[in-house]
Amino acid sequence: MEGCTILGALSVTTGVKDALSIVHGPNGCAHHNFSLLHATLATDTDSRFPHIVSTHLSEDDIIFGGEEALERAIREGLERDVGGIFILNTCIVDTIGDDTAAVCRKSWRVPVIYLPTAGFLGGGFSRGMLNALQTLAIHAKPREKVPRAVSLIGEKNLEYEVEENYTEISRLLESLGLHVYLRFVRDITIADLTEISRSGLNILREPELMPLGDLLRQRYGTPFVDRFPRGFIGTLTFLQDVARTLGIPCEDAVAYEMEHQTRVLAKFQDLEGIAVHLGRDTSNSFLREMVDLLGMFERNDGIHLPIPIPEPVGTGGVERLFHHWRRTICASL
Amino acid sequence: MRQIALYGKGGIGKSTTAANLSAAFAERGLKVLQIGCDPKHDSTRMLMHGANIPTVLDLVRERGVEPITPHEVVFLGFQDVRCVEAGGPEPGVGCAGRGIIATFQLLEKLEALEGDVVVYDVLGDVVCGGFAMPMREGYAEEVYLVTSGELMSLYAANNICKAIARLARHGRSKCRLGGVICNSANTHPREQELVEEFARRIGSALMGFIPRDRMVQLAELHKQTVFEYAPTSKQAQIYRTLAVSILENGSLTIPIPLETDQLETLALAYI
Repeated sequence: MEGCTILGALSVTTGVKDALSIVHGPNGCAHHNFSLLHATLATDTDSRFPHIVSTHLSEDDIIFGGEEALERAIREGLERDVGGIFILNTCIVDTIGDDTAAVCRKSWRVPVIYLPTAGFLGGGFSRGMLNALQTLAIHAKPREKVPRAVSLIGEKNLEYEVEENYTEISRLLESLGLHVYLRFVRDITIADLTEISRSGLNILREPELMPLGDLLRQRYGTPFVDRFPRGFIGTLTFLQDVARTLGIPCEDAVAYEMEHQTRVLAKFQDLEGIAVHLGRDTSNSFLREMVDLLGMFERNDGIHLPIPIPEPVGTGGVERLFHHWRRTICASL
Repeated sequence: MRQIALYGKGGIGKSTTAANLSAAFAERGLKVLQIGCDPKHDSTRMLMHGANIPTVLDLVRERGVEPITPHEVVFLGFQDVRCVEAGGPEPGVGCAGRGIIATFQLLEKLEALEGDVVVYDVLGDVVCGGFAMPMREGYAEEVYLVTSGELMSLYAANNICKAIARLARHGRSKCRLGGVICNSANTHPREQELVEEFARRIGSALMGFIPRDRMVQLAELHKQTVFEYAPTSKQAQIYRTLAVSILENGSLTIPIPLETDQLETLALAYI
């Protein structure tokens, strides 16, 4: 079971800070998602309210059609200082056949962008997120590339450690002489969306976003690396992948990262020789690598270690996982 | 209280049949309520002498949350037949089916569903759940299919059979098929035989044959039912006979819908 497509899409559209997301449907559809996004964002350092409003559809709107209510909500939205508006369809308006796209096409003062997000049409949270990213990705024109500019594609705005992961990727890119140009889509403006064509490389959060990577490559000629780095070896491979894709050297960066990883490991020597248990799913090669690196060994009656979801990103993510494991181990001894 | 629903293809003459049946029931001293369940809201027009009465949904839309009283939606027509029009959205937007559901809920709340006979006049070729509302528990327990000998009209009638049969599978549903009314379109000489055979094949019977008569058109041009315009006419007598057949009808069945090819073969045999 997975969440609704509309939440996946909202996790993207609310990442555009000067935009308003209008959920076209009854109040509850907007409120439920607002609460969830708000609760998650509140754990971030800047606790802001997601810019979400509802078209407040009632039974009358369903009988007579909800397009008027949508136009009203757009007009009200324009009274705020917004750079753009996203319209997200709920199940009921797609059932009665509101022509949301036509309403969006009218001439509005700012871009009004329609996202087909009705949950009953299939797919879940991930599909909603991918669709939204794709919808937002096609508003740019091919332009000259900014030197050494890299964009992050599809950061999971609702995951823990999203900022920590960003810091880690930035650190790794800097070691190659590169920098993050655009976070697509997190903490950017409507105008920034058109900058997507200017990065020399895109890094996808995870391989599931490959269709989007392909789309950006076809439209704007931007190559991509298909995932954030995972584990110590994965981090070194990541540096090599990025460098190879851009045709730049990486030997120094890889050598430095290996030294850095050795220093990180040295901090956890106290965990060597401890018997641990990873639960039933022992096929996870990433976890196996981590346990081996620490010199721990697996045994059925070993200390039960928490399994991180999603897996930690880069060397920094592994270091945080090791701290977490140490706390668990200390509490059990 | 008898609750009767007339279903059939659009334009087949449901409203004319319904209005004249209501008038016939009223003539026999029965208290009649006719509810038009078609967004084009012209079911009761002849009973209302050509007036388009305000529809329930128009009122709901204008009022918002303010309460509505029964006399704002129920209007007295010819022979004191009480008339209601559900109404609906503009063509091409919204959800007419939900409109029917909302209308029924409101009429229920207003306790307007009363009398000796309630006649529901329902658009039959719209097949979403909302248009099946009159067949649900607590509403019409007998459905009469209005059809001509034209294939498309039989096809629509057959579809309604599917809906009744489906509902009947729910143990609690009391909705049954009362019979078939042939409203002649003068399609071919053996039209009556064809519709009679169709009725038999779906496990029902022909309740009446209404021949095409210019009296109906004349009455409508005068914004009246046949009963009012020409009460002693042959056509009025046909509606009277049909009304009696319905009132005395004791045979309610769960229909056996035909497959499309069966229906076509049947139509072909009588052409």
